[in-house]
Amino acid sequence: MEPLAPHEKIFVDIDIVDDENHGEIACHECHGGNPDDPNWKTAHKGVVKDPTYPDATAACGDCHDEINENYQKSLHVSLRPYKLIMDKRASTNTVIRNKLGCAMNTHCSECHASCGQCHISRPNSVEGGFLDGHLFQKKPPMQEVCTACHGSRIQKEYLGEHEGLLPSIHKKKYMKCDKCHTGEEMHGNGKDYAHRYDVENGPKCVDCHKEIYKREAKNVITHRIHKEKASCHVCHSQPYNNCSACHVGKDEKGLAFFKTKSSWFDFKIGFNPLKSEKRPEKFVTLRHVPADKKTFDFYVKDALSNFDTLPTWKLATPHNIRLKTTQNASCNACHGNESLFLLEKDVEDNEKGANKNVLVPVNLIPKKQKWQPK
Amino acid sequence: MKYFKVIGMAAAFCLVLIPWNTFLCQAYEDTQCFQCHTSAKKLIEATREIAKTRPTVKSAETSGEG
Repeated sequence: MEPLAPHEKIFVDIDIVDDENHGEIACHECHGGNPDDPNWKTAHKGVVKDPTYPDATAACGDCHDEINENYQKSLHVSLRPYKLIMDKRASTNTVIRNKLGCAMNTHCSECHASCGQCHISRPNSVEGGFLDGHLFQKKPPMQEVCTACHGSRIQKEYLGEHEGLLPSIHKKKYMKCDKCHTGEEMHGNGKDYAHRYDVENGPKCVDCHKEIYKREAKNVITHRIHKEKASCHVCHSQPYNNCSACHVGKDEKGLAFFKTKSSWFDFKIGFNPLKSEKRPEKFVTLRHVPADKKTFDFYVKDALSNFDTLPTWKLATPHNIRLKTTQNASCNACHGNESLFLLEKDVEDNEKGANKNVLVPVNLIPKKQKWQPK
Repeated sequence: MKYFKVIGMAAAFCLVLIPWNTFLCQAYEDTQCFQCHTSAKKLIEATREIAKTRPTVKSAETSGEG
């Protein structure tokens, strides 16, 4: 997404005065500064660019009190799972952990959302700028907010931006992100989740596809047979984007940068690393994430000395769902098809330990079927 | 009774027909913030001035997908 021109980022639409909910709030009430000073340089003294981060209470809390009560625990704000993952992979040495913490603050903690960075402006991580002249957006626009951050994976998959792959059927039905990922999910419910897949009001396919296990449903046999054996994505997603080896550092001017190695489209089924009551399936789609033992080497060597505690091929819910896919064309398009499964030979030597629990031994790949349902 | 009716109608007229929003807008529009941030010309001048003094904040070494 092209960044906005500097003046476009801060241009206010005069229609804001007609906003019956926010139009009566003067700029300085949220942003500070001196509204009577005609010199813009001195008028901006003390101005807060995003008055909704880290604490939105003063700016939004008076009216949106229910959301304000919980949003600090929204994963988009807290980034808690990310910190927990790093905690598990990190060395136990306190000095090293402190250095890792500094590196993460420089490179990782910037990628968060806030009330303002969804409902008023583009997120800071994509250089910000008002969405529509500071007019408040009840539903954040998908491409300027959601996929501005979730671009390399979700956007490419959902919109079908990779050659030879189709967009998600849900995109074809004109569904935007908020159709599945509701405001309630985004705003948090006050619980400190350890993983995004634990979020209670996160989307589930069966929320809409309620009928699939009913006797009269199409493909009911197939759905019943595979229930708790394979996630919906195993049968219904197309190949999806995988990333590798993120390294961070600072350049000669002291500016922070990151570099990732190659990314590639692939489709791999493996054992479910997050088996739970909500996700009981044995087989799930796995995505390679850009985790690397040496990510933070610029700051401190061996920062992630417990790297093998978590897989680098992680449970994934690709966003390019289709009714018909290559692997569900027939039973034996998947059964006995080694190329679809994450085998030991598919994993880099230095990541074999981390992925030992998700790799599928050849003898445990579902066997070819002689009988096939009509 | 007659007076009450007249007063009541006058009050209703004031509440319903007078565009109270106009007064609020007036106050809003008077601020320096609003005058500058609703003028593309003023913003272009100011942001050009800022660009001259403020160094780049993004490293050119960033590469790959985030």
